[in-house]
Amino acid sequence: MAENSSLVRSTPAAMAARLKRRYAAETRFRLAGITAIALALGFLATLIFTIFSNGLTAFVQTSVKVEVAFDPEVLGIGNDRSPDALAGANYGQVIKESLYKQFPTVEGRSERRELVGLVSSGADITLRKMLAANPALIGTTQSVWLIAGDDIDMAMKGHISRTPGADGNRLTDRQLGWIGDLERQGAIRKGFNTTLFTTGDSREPELAGLWGAVVGSFFSLSITLIVCFPLGVATAVYLEEFAPKNKWTDIIEVNINNLAAVPSVVFGLLGLAIFLNFFGMPRSAPLVGGLVLALISLPTIIIAGRAALKAVPPSIREAALGLGASKQQMVTDHVLPLAMPGILTGTILGMAHALGETAPLLMIGMVAFIVDIPASPMDPAAVLPVQVYLWADSPERAFVERTSAAIMVLLFFLGMMNLAAILLRKKFERRW
Amino acid sequence: MNKSLAVAAVALATVAFAGAAQARDQIRIVGSSTVYPFTTAVAEQFGKAGKFKTPVVESTGTGGGFKLFCAGVGPDHPDLTNASRAIKKSEFETCAKNGVADVVEMKVGYDGIVLAASKKAKHMDITRQQMFLALAKDVPQGGKLVPNPYTMWNQIDPKLPAAKIEVLGPPPTSGTRDAFVELVMEAAAETFPELKELKKSDEKAFKKAYSSVREDGGYVEAGENDNLIVQKLDANPNAFGIFGYSFLDQNSDKLQGSMVDGVAPTFDNIAASKYPVSRPLFVYAKKAHVGQIPGIKEYLAEYTSEKAWGKTGYLADKGLIPMPDSERKEWAAKINGLEALKM
Amino acid sequence: MTAQTAAASLADRRLAKVSSRDVNVFYGEKHALKHVDLDIRANEVTALIGPSGCGKSTYLRCINRMNDLIENCQVTGSLSLDGDDVYDKKVDVVQLRARVGMVFQKPNPFPKSIYDNVAYGPRIHGMARDQAELDEVVMSSLERAGLLAEVKDRLEEPGTGLSGGQQQRLCIARAIAVSPEVILMDEPCSALDPIATAKVEELIDELRENFTIVIVTHSMQQAARVSQRTAFFHLGELVEVGDTEQIFTNPQHPLTQGYITGRFG
Repeated sequence: MAENSSLVRSTPAAMAARLKRRYAAETRFRLAGITAIALALGFLATLIFTIFSNGLTAFVQTSVKVEVAFDPEVLGIGNDRSPDALAGANYGQVIKESLYKQFPTVEGRSERRELVGLVSSGADITLRKMLAANPALIGTTQSVWLIAGDDIDMAMKGHISRTPGADGNRLTDRQLGWIGDLERQGAIRKGFNTTLFTTGDSREPELAGLWGAVVGSFFSLSITLIVCFPLGVATAVYLEEFAPKNKWTDIIEVNINNLAAVPSVVFGLLGLAIFLNFFGMPRSAPLVGGLVLALISLPTIIIAGRAALKAVPPSIREAALGLGASKQQMVTDHVLPLAMPGILTGTILGMAHALGETAPLLMIGMVAFIVDIPASPMDPAAVLPVQVYLWADSPERAFVERTSAAIMVLLFFLGMMNLAAILLRKKFERRW
Repeated sequence: MNKSLAVAAVALATVAFAGAAQARDQIRIVGSSTVYPFTTAVAEQFGKAGKFKTPVVESTGTGGGFKLFCAGVGPDHPDLTNASRAIKKSEFETCAKNGVADVVEMKVGYDGIVLAASKKAKHMDITRQQMFLALAKDVPQGGKLVPNPYTMWNQIDPKLPAAKIEVLGPPPTSGTRDAFVELVMEAAAETFPELKELKKSDEKAFKKAYSSVREDGGYVEAGENDNLIVQKLDANPNAFGIFGYSFLDQNSDKLQGSMVDGVAPTFDNIAASKYPVSRPLFVYAKKAHVGQIPGIKEYLAEYTSEKAWGKTGYLADKGLIPMPDSERKEWAAKINGLEALKM
Repeated sequence: MTAQTAAASLADRRLAKVSSRDVNVFYGEKHALKHVDLDIRANEVTALIGPSGCGKSTYLRCINRMNDLIENCQVTGSLSLDGDDVYDKKVDVVQLRARVGMVFQKPNPFPKSIYDNVAYGPRIHGMARDQAELDEVVMSSLERAGLLAEVKDRLEEPGTGLSGGQQQRLCIARAIAVSPEVILMDEPCSALDPIATAKVEELIDELRENFTIVIVTHSMQQAARVSQRTAFFHLGELVEVGDTEQIFTNPQHPLTQGYITGRFG
């Protein structure tokens, strides 16, 4: 009868208590897991929020509209319209004169200096480009939007107080007044900060950009990829498929695993000793940076490659060999293509890691103030994480937001690379 | 795959040796992180003129810069080095030993080291002696050295604030720390009779006494990133920070500098040498590289121009305290004449 | 030498495609195969039967030297294909395996298209001069494996997308494509359902016209169905070999008798 079955009869009290404890333990364990995830996500959210809230304003740049009079006398070129003359003309003076005209009540040396401070010291480049493109503008007066000085930019974004009379303010009350005037005239506006993405480093925050670092990172990672992908894959294939299993290969395997855990700055020292001192390669060049990063990434790729090769089932290998394929044909035609998704994922993750490396590059001189955009991997260059570090150390207020913006750009590239790795893996996932 | 690997290897080797052979056409500067903002500003202006490539400036620290600078002559070695202190005799001798015979010394201006706090805190007026008592590991009391017993500022002097002693400052690797120890701690130590005695009897112990900073939490090594110290001071009005004048200048709306020995850390006071915690900043150049690497003479000319290091020059805007007019003229002549340093 | 092989006449030896004399196999210390003398006749299906672990697969893998892949495996004695010693130092294993093909227990088509699966062997051995010849080899192999009708519209699809039985027939087609002389089959139907098994057995029967087939099987009924000669292995030794009908109706050795009647297995 059902009522008498041992399952239905009420369990003894001890059993019930034990069950209760088990369920309680399970609930606690689950709660612990959820709490851990919540904490981790909380930290991540805080990090992202802090960086984004600090850095978002850096993507916007204040400009000031100035009625620029391209007076050839002020430019100092007279009747000369040759490209050399135009390049060497005194655009700074043109800006100054135009500003004096726009604010005719301003007199006195210090007042005038404050007025000129409204506009960036690098605004003359804008004018030089304008004239180089269209020399016919000489003699005319144009409305030009010029990049504002970094303190003006900070005030417009609210990072510097705009209340007159504040003690210790970087902007004088006069300058605050002029900002107000410009606003009323509609002669000051905020636009997308293209400078951040088109120029190299600068001491003036409003002129500083990430492009030099982006190109430097690109060159470095290209060199890294070219060197460590073939080398890493070939090593993994040799160690996994061809090397005899003896004491020597065991030692090599242990050493490779250990190399993956060596602090990356040690590779920087190695790069300094070998690439710079022995080979005499150019200092601060992405060529050397790329080679050092390749040394760092190599163990990762070898280990990932070996794991991917090990995962190819022996049945495929036997089938190939049974048909009369030589060992090399078996590896090249069957094993390697099947292991390639795993190898590629490992490579991309290794590259993403290398993108963020800074310490080893310190030893080879890539932590430096470099203004020019590198034209080849042999020109001195910085990389993105280095640019973050350098800007973080600068006192100018406007660099604070730009540091966060640089971090955002770096995270963006890292995110893209990780996404590529995930997509690749999904695409090539095979079921045996 | 073997063939392409061999080709790649040969290409790499070619490039490596080719890189060695090519002569450098860009000025290379290394050295102090304190002088870095100024040297880089000059480098940028110099490059903007368009005649030469913008110099590459690395921030390696004063000591590290001298090591690289004095390693030899040639395109593999830097042309100039920044220094937040004068070159030591030992470093000068190393230079001479490695063939760096003619070194041009350039004094470019002054830097002030300030003790700053949030504007929300009460303004402080402190003496160097009191700073020593607040920060040293061992302080003189009753004739001998005892571990620092002071935990509050007003225990040292009732006029100082009634707050816990908490100072964020540079680590021992920093040149700013070296300068602070020399200008404040050493100078103050010599005013205590116990330590004056110690100096006479045991020079080494005296050095240890003035350069050891307390490690019980009163002095916190806040790393090399001064922006971080600024942020922390903004958040904690009771704490003080030790850093260069340029950071105070850039954050004058949030921070205030304490008066030291009755003098406020302002641009004018430091320029007039009235503020006691200030030090000269230097750049050193290799005469041998002039002519070998294009643009060095012109770079020096830019650095010594009035629009750069003058009272209203762009370096002053960045926080460099310029030398008095006569001193500037004197140094400009020495530098542009490439006068070699004699030690 | 067993009684059987002592009585092997010269005539028998002339028919032998694969001939073994005193073949021993050692896995390290373990003596896995002991003193095997066996002749495989041309254009016949020879079945190797016996309980688990008796050494039949080991013997099979000696013939195409797949045992070389196993570390610590030592083979002694003489094993010859058409009179040429297979284990001679000068023998090119790659060539040997083109002459002696293998089909495995679990179907293992390459993760490539059906066409590429079959074409792989001829490609690496340079057996086709141009694309047209290669097409022909692939088509005829698929036809002889009895698979062409089912896959001729989807040759570009992956081989792994076929059913178990079709995959095994694909593997057979792949093995045939290199025109081997001997095909070794290691329990080819053990992973297949009865209908697929029947198809493969039918195929084996057709193939023996052009190939010599050695099949290891766990199923005595299968051995009885497909083979002309049967060899019974037990604990690493070749106990008895003879015509299939004779082995199953009138075994000479008591062990053979015991295995056939199911007293042990």
